[in-house]
Amino acid sequence: MEWAWLIPIFSFAAAPLIVLFGKYLPSKGAFLSILAIVAGFGGFWVVLISWMGADPSTNGCFTSENTHLLTCDYERRWFNAGVIGDVGSVTLNWGILIDPLTIAVLGLVTFVAMMVQIYSLAYMKGDPRFGWYFAIHSMFAAAMLTLVLADNFLLLYVAWELVGICSYLLIGFWHERAAAREAAKKAFIVTRIGDVGLLIGILLIYREVGTFSMLDAFEAVRTGAMSEGVTTAAAILLFLGAMGKSAQIPFHVWLPDAMEGPTPVSALIHAATMVIAGVFLVARTFPIFEAYDADPLLIVSIVGLVTALVAATIALVATDLKRILAYSTISHLGLMMLSLGAFGYTAAIFHMMAHGFSKALLFLGAGSVLHSTEFQETGEMGGLRKVMPITAIVFSIGALSLGGIPILAGFWSKDEILVAVSDNRNVTFIVLTLFTAMLSALYMARAMFLVFFGPLKSQNEHAHESPGAMVVPMVLLGVLALGFGLISFNWPGSYGGIGTFVYFKHAHDFHFEIWLGAVSIVLAVGAFIAAYLIYVKRSVSLENTRSNFSGILKVIENKYYFDEVYQWTIDRVVLVFSRSISFFDRAIVNDIIVNGPADVTRKFGIAIRVHVTGHVYTYTLAMAIGSVGLAIFVWLRVA
Amino acid sequence: MVDLVWFQLLSAVLFVIGLYGVMSRRSAVLIVMSIELMLNAVNINLIAAASHMEGTGKFSNFDGQLIAIFIITVAAAEVGLALALILRLYRNKSTVNVDEINLMKW
Repeated sequence: MEWAWLIPIFSFAAAPLIVLFGKYLPSKGAFLSILAIVAGFGGFWVVLISWMGADPSTNGCFTSENTHLLTCDYERRWFNAGVIGDVGSVTLNWGILIDPLTIAVLGLVTFVAMMVQIYSLAYMKGDPRFGWYFAIHSMFAAAMLTLVLADNFLLLYVAWELVGICSYLLIGFWHERAAAREAAKKAFIVTRIGDVGLLIGILLIYREVGTFSMLDAFEAVRTGAMSEGVTTAAAILLFLGAMGKSAQIPFHVWLPDAMEGPTPVSALIHAATMVIAGVFLVARTFPIFEAYDADPLLIVSIVGLVTALVAATIALVATDLKRILAYSTISHLGLMMLSLGAFGYTAAIFHMMAHGFSKALLFLGAGSVLHSTEFQETGEMGGLRKVMPITAIVFSIGALSLGGIPILAGFWSKDEILVAVSDNRNVTFIVLTLFTAMLSALYMARAMFLVFFGPLKSQNEHAHESPGAMVVPMVLLGVLALGFGLISFNWPGSYGGIGTFVYFKHAHDFHFEIWLGAVSIVLAVGAFIAAYLIYVKRSVSLENTRSNFSGILKVIENKYYFDEVYQWTIDRVVLVFSRSISFFDRAIVNDIIVNGPADVTRKFGIAIRVHVTGHVYTYTLAMAIGSVGLAIFVWLRVA
Repeated sequence: MVDLVWFQLLSAVLFVIGLYGVMSRRSAVLIVMSIELMLNAVNINLIAAASHMEGTGKFSNFDGQLIAIFIITVAAAEVGLALALILRLYRNKSTVNVDEINLMKW
């Protein structure tokens, strides 16, 4: 396990190699990137197996007082700021922290990144920047893996920003298109706003604890060395960073626009990297959130719930296939946050993985559709199952999984979330969560039926199934989306379900609340049937409902005017303020403070330069008068 | 022997004529000539003083003559330099009229 740091290193190494030597290699070096991530995936298994075999006596391992989990920490000195031993000198470490959370996310990231990269081989074929795409892809995965493994806040922050810049580069990959450039900038800037909170939070913890180590910070929180006020403030600041990265309201606006990147990039961003970083951060620093009376968790759950609800309603009315999926991601990230906020640690991580596999599958499926039909609007599709059967099947699996149909992965994880919410939050939360779950089923069903069912349009008759390199990853992800939920059960043998693997303080076996499960199944199945009637049979018309609720519908279709409000704020507040600042800079700083003295000097020079005529006789006269004057002066003094 | 005052008077007159020339002439060449006149006025003054002071013990015998020879040497060098400058000036500006040459200002 000490060597787990090699997992990101492979991918880090692949990126510059592809950039520098890619053009001399077959397939522009893409295989290097894939080899690196396959090695990373292998590393995940090694780490998992050696963690299973480890006990508190293993080198570097101990049972954490905070999580009650077997945790392994390997720290090395990174560099010193200042002279060692001097007052104020700081030794900074880097290191890796391995506990079940790390392992679970490692598995998710390496697997999805691997699938997406294989898929990209076919999807990005013929792109002029094919090699560059894979280099950044590699870097992206490496940054995310570093973030997952980091055992101190400094390393985490470095990885966090690397993830941000890589997503910027990938979203803006087709930077010839203005929309892609704008989307990349938007993603980068919006997440940076949250990052400011994260940075302040990290520095606050550093000030209190004196080290960047997460374990030390958790220890300080547990022993009470960090006071309640500071802990709460730190938790909220960290959550601000998580909100930016995980696209929680009001920072969600960047994620739908991030669709401008290539579709596999969306799959990666939505499933395995970038957006889950926020959820991961909250889970990783859970002891800070949970300390004292866990006030920050209430904020987390409220933000999560609002995000889930708002995004789900937008997903219901969006018409662009990728946009539906994007809002679905936001909604599910909200559910994860809600779950964390309701002490559903296991449920959140479980849902992160189940959603990751399903959403990667959906995006790859959407990419497959786009690749073949060139359309992105659901209105232009329909009946595609006739021409792309495999894509249709795996996409449906993903949709059913996220919709929460039993046996599929999404059902079990969603159920865990519902249990956590009903156990720890009041009835408003559980009702709204169930409502969100139903909406989730409804919009997934809508997307699935609109794209793959109904009559095939003549413009799509030329569409065909995608090549093998695209189909195989989709099928593998489909298998996981189908069967991943099974890991939540107690299987015969020593394995007791995911609740005994990733948990916070209390291991718990799989349990299933009958009434809750029944309600959620009824809602999900009902939603799918309703969608079938509406979008395939067309036996139920929405016209009446549409006209009755046209006001609300308009608000939702305009995405609750978030973008407009931001635009207004930027135009009317930020720019006006900036203009007044720039006026101050120009009028006061520049014209008076800087140019003022220069101006005085210049004017004075002009005033006194009249004697410099440039004529020889003027100078001679002055010299003569001066000499005579001097002579008279000396004569008078001598006399 | 002619009184020292007459020599000094001659010297002063020549010097002022030279000074007037420097200030009033427009031609650079004439200005140089006027400067020569001023230098020679000083020479007269020095040599007269030296020969009149001979034997008074205030100066050694050849001080005045010595300085006069120095001045002649320097004047010769100066003429060489000044004429070279004037030549360059003429090449550049096609004139040696100092009224038209007012480069030496801001």
